[in-house]
Amino acid sequence: MTHSPAFQLKDCHQQGNGQTILDIENLSIAAGEKVALIGKSGAGKSTLLNKLRGLRPDECAFCPQHHGLVPALSVYHNIYMGGLERHSTLINLINLVVPRPGSKQDISSLCQQLGLSEKLFISVDQLSGGQQQRTALGRALYQQADLFLGDEPVSAVDNEQAGQLLELLKQQHRTVIIALHNEQLTRNHFDRVIGLKQGRVAMDKPVAEISDSDLADIYRD
Amino acid sequence: MKSITFALVALLFSVNIQAQSLTFTAIPDQDETLLKTRFNKIATYLSERLDIEVKYVPVKSYAAAVTAFRNNQVQLAWFGGLSGVRARLLVPGSMAIAQGYEDQFFQTYFIAHSSTGLESTDQFSDNIKQRTFTFGSKGSTSGRLMPEFHIRKQFNKAPDQLFRRVGFSGDHSRTIALVQSGAYDVGAVNFKVWERELAAGKIDNSKVKVIWKTPTYPDYQWSIRGDVEQHWGEGFVAKVQKALLEMSDPDLLASFPRQSFIKASNDDFQPVEDVARSIGLID
Amino acid sequence: MAVHNAVKPQSYSTAAGMKRTSLWFLLIAALCLLLADLEVIRADPWMELGRIGLGLITPNFFATEALLDALLNTLAFALIGVTIANCVGFLLALLFNKPGVRQFCASIRAVHELFWALLFLQIFGLSTLTGILAIAIPYSGIFAKVYAEILEESDHRPINSLPKQQSLSAFFYARFAIAYPHFRSYCLYRLECGIRSSAILGFIGLPTLGFHLDTAFKQGNYSEAAALLYLFFIVIATLRQWMRLKLLPVYLAAGFYILPQSTLISLEHLKRFLGEDIIPSPLRQSGGDFTEQILALMDWCWQLLYLQAFEGVFNTIVLSIIALVGSGMVALLLFPLVSRHFFSRPGRGLGHALLVVFRSIPELILTFITTLILGPSMLPAILALSLHNGAIIGYLIGQHSNGLQLRADSSRGLNLYSYELLPRIYPQFLAFLLYRWEVIVRETAILGVLGIHTLGFYIDSAFEDLRFDRALFLILITAALNLSIDSLSRWLRSRIHRVNFERVNSC
Repeated sequence: MTHSPAFQLKDCHQQGNGQTILDIENLSIAAGEKVALIGKSGAGKSTLLNKLRGLRPDECAFCPQHHGLVPALSVYHNIYMGGLERHSTLINLINLVVPRPGSKQDISSLCQQLGLSEKLFISVDQLSGGQQQRTALGRALYQQADLFLGDEPVSAVDNEQAGQLLELLKQQHRTVIIALHNEQLTRNHFDRVIGLKQGRVAMDKPVAEISDSDLADIYRD
Repeated sequence: MKSITFALVALLFSVNIQAQSLTFTAIPDQDETLLKTRFNKIATYLSERLDIEVKYVPVKSYAAAVTAFRNNQVQLAWFGGLSGVRARLLVPGSMAIAQGYEDQFFQTYFIAHSSTGLESTDQFSDNIKQRTFTFGSKGSTSGRLMPEFHIRKQFNKAPDQLFRRVGFSGDHSRTIALVQSGAYDVGAVNFKVWERELAAGKIDNSKVKVIWKTPTYPDYQWSIRGDVEQHWGEGFVAKVQKALLEMSDPDLLASFPRQSFIKASNDDFQPVEDVARSIGLID
Repeated sequence: MAVHNAVKPQSYSTAAGMKRTSLWFLLIAALCLLLADLEVIRADPWMELGRIGLGLITPNFFATEALLDALLNTLAFALIGVTIANCVGFLLALLFNKPGVRQFCASIRAVHELFWALLFLQIFGLSTLTGILAIAIPYSGIFAKVYAEILEESDHRPINSLPKQQSLSAFFYARFAIAYPHFRSYCLYRLECGIRSSAILGFIGLPTLGFHLDTAFKQGNYSEAAALLYLFFIVIATLRQWMRLKLLPVYLAAGFYILPQSTLISLEHLKRFLGEDIIPSPLRQSGGDFTEQILALMDWCWQLLYLQAFEGVFNTIVLSIIALVGSGMVALLLFPLVSRHFFSRPGRGLGHALLVVFRSIPELILTFITTLILGPSMLPAILALSLHNGAIIGYLIGQHSNGLQLRADSSRGLNLYSYELLPRIYPQFLAFLLYRWEVIVRETAILGVLGIHTLGFYIDSAFEDLRFDRALFLILITAALNLSIDSLSRWLRSRIHRVNFERVNSC
């Protein structure tokens, strides 16, 4: 296992509207780490994720909070979009009209894992919030990248399913960084927890060392 | 070689070379309905007399008719006075060959709404100053050129300066409708259209009346391109002229409508050209 | 919460911003009203209106010769012209940010299709090609602008979630797929406009419905005119029923088959047009002294500017701004008629019929009728332009409102209108209205009947006098005016744009 960090962020300061959005001296995430990013809403989690993504734009599978799905396209096509780069433009365009059998098989089995197999050719504007979220996850998974960055990627599903999805993500990606709110999921599925407060890293510990008061601190004003 | 290139270009652009058939158009000076039905009969007549295929192309505006003549899309055209002058200036060698009997002494009527209190007079009344006024179409001899000429001659002013407001109704019938409704106080109209609408009962004399008639001037005429003789041989122009002059079937003449056609020459229309130059419609 | 409390509250809400923009418009329009000529001439239109009314209830479908040909030609010109424009416009939309493309598009759409037709008439004669180009060229400019705006305004988040956002595949999956429904519905609407334009090309002699409509109306054959108008309304009202993407190739093939094949392409005419006709007349006389020619040219330009262009630009701006605000009012008044939030299906059917009538009657005819009633001034033009354009915008925002999901317990009537719908549709409404501004400028060209000396009036006169040099000079001024209007409305839009302007619901 290589020891060069997957992400290295130094002296990152960002201001906006007269307040600090991000203020990070030094943050390093090693390849292979599974990191949970916690903090109140507005603490800078999304901004930090975007910064990290900006470091390796072509290598990250990314699942944004707003999903970024194309409403008129089916689950199949939305997931396929994660793999556009693996095919030629012509094949992609044909696939837009007539799905490729090979990709259909891949995506269909991926959908099975995501619990979406019934919905493969339903357009995403007809899905529930949870189903849309899983489609967005599917697209990120289908990128088949080494790194995964997710902004609340499992917020709209129940705890049990969220756990399964997180395991799936961990299994498919070497390095995983996920912003989330859920304490139980944080404790059960990650190695390291980074707590943000007003744009600063207020806590950065292995999950085993996290105490209840640490968490309470992060969420206190 | 040249002809091969020409044939290729022709094929490429699917050009309809009108080498075989004579095409004509006619600006209807008053009745624009059923143009094809009416003028296809003329085409048949000319075709029989000239022994070649003759086609009719319907055209709406004066400008489009002149352009078609200039571009050799039509070789023969029934033009108004002004449009004929314009067309012949653009196509050197073209000539006026026939005009309607009535066209020797064509007239424009100035008409006024009753609320103006204007009455029919021998002289152009001063009372039309500061009224609202409408011409017909911008390119018409009887609806624009001659009335403007007489307005300038009488008052030494452009229409814009003489009247409170000057519009262009676009058509003689509409000029009558607009003046009759009082939308405009005064208008200038082709006398034949006035008489036809009067006969058709479309005019209420208590609302609109003729207040002045212009002196006569030459108007509609048949013009032909000079280069037709290169296609159809020497003497073709004379042949066409003869066919037109000998048109006697009332049914055919009614399309124009004229009682008969008489000879005409470019010189007959010199007055029209002079007037057009004097008021700046031709450079 | 402390963080948020620290922020200075925003100086105005988005609604206040829209209100401010609207008030400015109203104020400027009010100023224009002071400058405009609004005289009402007491007229006695009842005799003529009676005849028109009689014609409307006794339509005569058999008075027109070759009616079917005219109808099919109208559709063929529109379908072919709009299809070409759609493809060209789409490509231009992709290049819209490249320097010059935006300006090029604004210039070609500044010219009324009738004037394009009159230009091409000189080169191709009264032919099929003239008709197709007269529609395809200005429409390409329109498509380019609208498509570029749809792309700009559609949700960018999907493409931002992808790696390699520059690739063509990413464009088609994450941008085109989102914009496609909007492209499609816009294209259908544009086809409707194309049918109108195609019909109007008949006014200068192309073999479409307008050819006969113009004649019938001019000569007061109102029964025939009514029949032609009804036919026209029916075609437009049923557009969504017969226009299917799958059938387009069939329609296009049929269109090419139907249209007259006598296109006369002559390099000679093209050379003559470019080398002589459009050269300013002082430069055409060869052999003169060079300095003299330059002086003559300057005089020629000055005469045109002084006698025609200045007045033309002034009148065009004054008239178009008043008509613009008028259209906006008409639209806000009429859109509930076709909105599902106000009327059930049968009610909306009537509303649609009314709007189809207003937006399909050629402005020339509408203006003739309003002139009969109000006499010649800017007033009938304002009325005709406001009704026509108001009906179009009303229809568009009505459709837009039908896409909105309101909460089940929202209020009714005027409260629903003012609290729920107006704030939601307003950004869209302003965008449509701003876009319509340049269309209104284009349409002021046809108001010669009123003697209102707009730029279009002078262009029309130049064409009528076969002075193509003057026509082109004035057309270039019109294009410049349109460029200014385009940048002004773009600036206004960007101000409004901070508002949540998402055409696409996020998910």
